[in-house]
Amino acid sequence: MANSSIDLLLVGVSHKTAPVGVRERLAVEPDAVDAALAELTALPGVREAVMVSTCNRVELYVASEDADRAATSLADVLARRAAVGVAELEEHLYQHRDAAAVRHLFRVAASLDSLVVGEPQILGQVKQAYDNAVRCGTAGATLRACFEEGAFRVARRVRRETAIAKNPVSVSSVAVDLARQVFSDFSKRHVLVVGAGKMSELAARNLRQHGATLTVTNRTRARAEDLATRFGASVADWSDLAGAVAAADIVIASTGAQRPVLTLELIKDVRRLRRGKPLCLLDIAVPRDVDPQAGKLDGIYLFDIDDLQKQANEHRAERAEEAEEAETLVAEEHGRFVKRWRSRQLGPTVSALRTHILGIAQAEAQRLFGGMGEREKKAALDLADSIAKKILHLPQMALRDDDPDEGVSLVVAVQRLFALELQEPAVSLARDDVSRAAGKKAAGS
Amino acid sequence: MATTLTWHEIGAYAIASVLYLAHLIRLHKSVENAARILLGIGVVLHLADIGVRCYQGVTPVSSTVEAMSFVSFLVAAGFLLASLRYRLAAAGAFAVPASLVLLVLARIAPSPPTTPQMGSLGQAHILLATLGVAVFAFAAVLALLYLFQDRQLKRKKFERVMEKGTPLDTLDRLAHRCVSIGFPVFTLAIVTGALWVARLGIVHHPEDLRPEYLFAVGAWVAFAVLLVARIGAGWRGRRAAWLTLGGFGGTVLVVGAYFLRYVA
Repeated sequence: MANSSIDLLLVGVSHKTAPVGVRERLAVEPDAVDAALAELTALPGVREAVMVSTCNRVELYVASEDADRAATSLADVLARRAAVGVAELEEHLYQHRDAAAVRHLFRVAASLDSLVVGEPQILGQVKQAYDNAVRCGTAGATLRACFEEGAFRVARRVRRETAIAKNPVSVSSVAVDLARQVFSDFSKRHVLVVGAGKMSELAARNLRQHGATLTVTNRTRARAEDLATRFGASVADWSDLAGAVAAADIVIASTGAQRPVLTLELIKDVRRLRRGKPLCLLDIAVPRDVDPQAGKLDGIYLFDIDDLQKQANEHRAERAEEAEEAETLVAEEHGRFVKRWRSRQLGPTVSALRTHILGIAQAEAQRLFGGMGEREKKAALDLADSIAKKILHLPQMALRDDDPDEGVSLVVAVQRLFALELQEPAVSLARDDVSRAAGKKAAGS
Repeated sequence: MATTLTWHEIGAYAIASVLYLAHLIRLHKSVENAARILLGIGVVLHLADIGVRCYQGVTPVSSTVEAMSFVSFLVAAGFLLASLRYRLAAAGAFAVPASLVLLVLARIAPSPPTTPQMGSLGQAHILLATLGVAVFAFAAVLALLYLFQDRQLKRKKFERVMEKGTPLDTLDRLAHRCVSIGFPVFTLAIVTGALWVARLGIVHHPEDLRPEYLFAVGAWVAFAVLLVARIGAGWRGRRAAWLTLGGFGGTVLVVGAYFLRYVA
């Protein structure tokens, strides 16, 4: 038995609808995923399930014959996990069905629904969620089509055909990118973090991921040591700031000092000590930590928070433009997906319609059989058959030309009008011609 | 004396130059790949051309124009190889057109009416000078790129360098390596040149000294200062780049003087 629409249902929360306090209570630990999926598919009406759980969203994608019932029980499950009443959770929950659910999934996978639009992690997270479902056997034909042939394909296209993720939009990654213009290989570079702030922490972590070694210094030594343990860095003495800077290739400064800590004189000394080796200064403090004049010295590359912010904003604007292009792509792919899905219903529908009408005609003809000879019987059957086929002709043609984009799907309408039960749901959308072949076969039977 | 082969290699260099320039101004990775393929074709044709000429008895060291063509080949081939290893597409916009100009100059020039008969000393001098100038030319391209990117970064114009730039330390290191290789070669070139001149016995009075001797010595001094100051006083970056350009300018003047004297 198959449903005429795409029987996908989505219930979830995201950064757009729920504060982190709610999201974190709903999030599922990686090792609890299997149990959670089993719990979902055990719910009445839920046939297949995929669960996407990241720090920005918890979304349940299920295939269900009875969407209303499934939606209620999914909301119950979520409310229980968050240990709140359903009514309380309801205001944060959104749900989409059918084509709208598919559209949402496509946008999520293409990173258009992300907090930072275009961030690349989400696709991996969605893939992971889907792989988990495949491993647990909770992903069936519907979800397989929606994810593998839909979402992943869309995401790949968006990646390939737009520049949505080309340039970094965060200040810390812009800082790293700029340092990369001076130094080719971070693995031989030393980074000095002067002072402690959230932003410097991000940039430092980022640099360390690229292999740089870290040193931390701070006016209060205890604070520096605390940071150093968290970073896996060493501590430099504040009293020998010039020495520490001279030993570094990249300096990230973010103290709360009111006047520049790295004065022009200090940088000049450092330059002499470094014997011409280039030095990259990332000043992300306000008020600034590095004397702006230092940036004019040969071999000293100074970038302050405005430079970084400006660059990040430019990238953000570019990304917004690319996002529009990506939306067009998603719409295009979504249209194609829905159309293919509906067209694969065509064959079984036509077949069921013919069986239904021809069956009625034959049955009515057989009621006349009493007292008829063989020839008359055959004539009556032939007459009934030919009337039925004449009647079927136009609807069949109309169904073939059905264009779901026009809003009303005739295929769906016919299924409802005649209360048709389809024999076999087509399983894969992999090729257009599969459904077309099925249609032909049905028409010829 | 340009053959069909010559025109083809000039054509390939010309298109590659345009593509590298286009890539620098805007456009995609695919443009760089196309440029690289065309440059590869140009280099192969050029090598074949040089081979054919050698077979006909016109070796790269037989005259100034042949030497210029050879320098052009070395710069193009050197850049091609280096671009496979480093992110140097931007340098292509300087190196390849430079190759092209040298090659065109060498080929459209009328061939010298009578090549002065030179012994093996003369040939060794031309060969060494050619190699030296080619390596310095490459260093100069890197220095130019360094200055360009340095200025962009200092003026906070990040967009272009962030997309196509080569890290400054790579440029600096490569340029230094080129100068370190070119310097001993160029030194030998000057020594052989001096011996050659002495043997020809054309200099008897101070007024017989030609300006190119002076340029050559000037270039040698510039590179010597550069190498010593880098090791001794940590001269790098902008200052080193300017000095490299200065030294290379000297060698260009020498080649130019020869070109004018023997060809024009």
